[in-house]
Amino acid sequence: MKFSDRIQKVDRRIIYMILLLAVVLPLVFRIGFKTYTTTPVEDLYRHIDAAAGRDDMSILMDFTHDPGVLPELYPMDLAILRHCFERNIKVFTISFLPQGAAIIQMALSEVKEDYPNIEANVDYCNFGFKPWSTKLPIMLGMGDDIAEAVETNSEGLKLENLPIMQNMKNYDNIQVVVEISGSSMGQFWVTYARAKFGVDVAVGLTAVMAADVYPYLQSGQFVGSLGGLKGAAEYEQLVDIFAMNDEEFSKKKARDIKWVAAQYKELPAIAKLYKYNKARIGMDAQAVVHVLIIFFIVLGNIGYFLDQRAQKKNK
Amino acid sequence: MKRQIPLMIVLILGLLFVAHVFIPSRISADYLDWFLKWTKVIGPFAIVLGVFSLVYVHYNKIKRKAPTWGYSIVTLVALVITTAVGFIWGIQEGTPYMWIFKNFNVPLGATMFSLLAFYIASAAYKAFRARSIEATVLLIAAIIVMLGRVSIGQAITHWIPDITEWILNVPNLAAKRGIALGVGLGMTATSLKIMLGIERSYLGGKD
Repeated sequence: MKFSDRIQKVDRRIIYMILLLAVVLPLVFRIGFKTYTTTPVEDLYRHIDAAAGRDDMSILMDFTHDPGVLPELYPMDLAILRHCFERNIKVFTISFLPQGAAIIQMALSEVKEDYPNIEANVDYCNFGFKPWSTKLPIMLGMGDDIAEAVETNSEGLKLENLPIMQNMKNYDNIQVVVEISGSSMGQFWVTYARAKFGVDVAVGLTAVMAADVYPYLQSGQFVGSLGGLKGAAEYEQLVDIFAMNDEEFSKKKARDIKWVAAQYKELPAIAKLYKYNKARIGMDAQAVVHVLIIFFIVLGNIGYFLDQRAQKKNK
Repeated sequence: MKRQIPLMIVLILGLLFVAHVFIPSRISADYLDWFLKWTKVIGPFAIVLGVFSLVYVHYNKIKRKAPTWGYSIVTLVALVITTAVGFIWGIQEGTPYMWIFKNFNVPLGATMFSLLAFYIASAAYKAFRARSIEATVLLIAAIIVMLGRVSIGQAITHWIPDITEWILNVPNLAAKRGIALGVGLGMTATSLKIMLGIERSYLGGKD
């Protein structure tokens, strides 16, 4: 077999094996690549942070995603919840998928372990699973009265009787709706909640969906977005360097690599837990895999051009 | 009458909903309130219908010993067990339902999604060739974006993430917006066709 053929026809089992090593090794032996924040992630952080310490403002997290996309989206779930619990921001959680309700339980219990003072129905309220077919009445109904539209929390308790609802009436009390999903669910919130009631909407998406949101970001229909594991890694870092240090957000500081590195020296133990670093550890593997895929593409193209040249010579 | 009545319902409710959006008044607000209550009542019946359909399809597959009927047994057993533990012990953290979710759903779902990386790598290597100018542009853009979306790109030069942002914010945005406008116009046209009774396939059967 010619050299050009050989480099174009590497057995796929070899590719899979190399890829497996490229994923596993950086996860086991952490490389520690730096994380650089981008505007859509910074905007979302700033928006959520604006509700810090307020009793009449909350954020609504919609967990309409299933376990298939957890490796990318779960670090987002944890990072946003940690931000809220750290900065005393009220949180509502909801899911229009049954699996999403279980993910809410998982995420809340994992973050609550580190924040024992946070109380259910006081600092946060889990609306739980609401059938997909009720999403329209709930999205529209919350514009008038959240308690009436959603009715009960995940434990079946009437919302109107819960302490967290004392100062919460409708979308005027929702700082931002954060839709975390591997679908175009965020656009429903834009169509029904933002267009009619003006509530701010942001999204956390899988990387393959991330390119879809740029028109909405430019028009302001999404106030921020987290794109794939990279978005989650950026948010983790912003929570570490600002929320964990009780520091006001500053774009200039977030992008000053020296200042960011200095913040990491004085972080509390919670920030060093594996669960709050998952996305950044995962990004090490993702970086290596991206380079590997580029290498394979270039290799295949070198073979292709050698082939083409040989064919021209033969003519 | 079997066809006329559903068509009339669709036309009247469709027009009312359009009117509600464009004519703000007490009546239209009351209409929305009425509509939302009805939707909340009717909607959950879809779940009952879904469960019935799932059981019906898989029961028939098992009965006929259709190809891969063994998977249908797994589906039905999983449905019964998950539903039963959910009803008996609830679905909160620490219950058997959550144990099933964490130990079956999560690893199985994540495994399926993770396999994509292997297929993408293999497919990109085998099929991504600079055969034409368009393919070359796509190839270069893909390599820049792949590097720009990880920190290695920034480590090489800040130009890579900057160009990545430009690709996403300009050519990508323009293409996506064009597609979105096309889809929006298509949806409007289809909705009008349904409301006016031109498109009737949702009624089932032949015209």
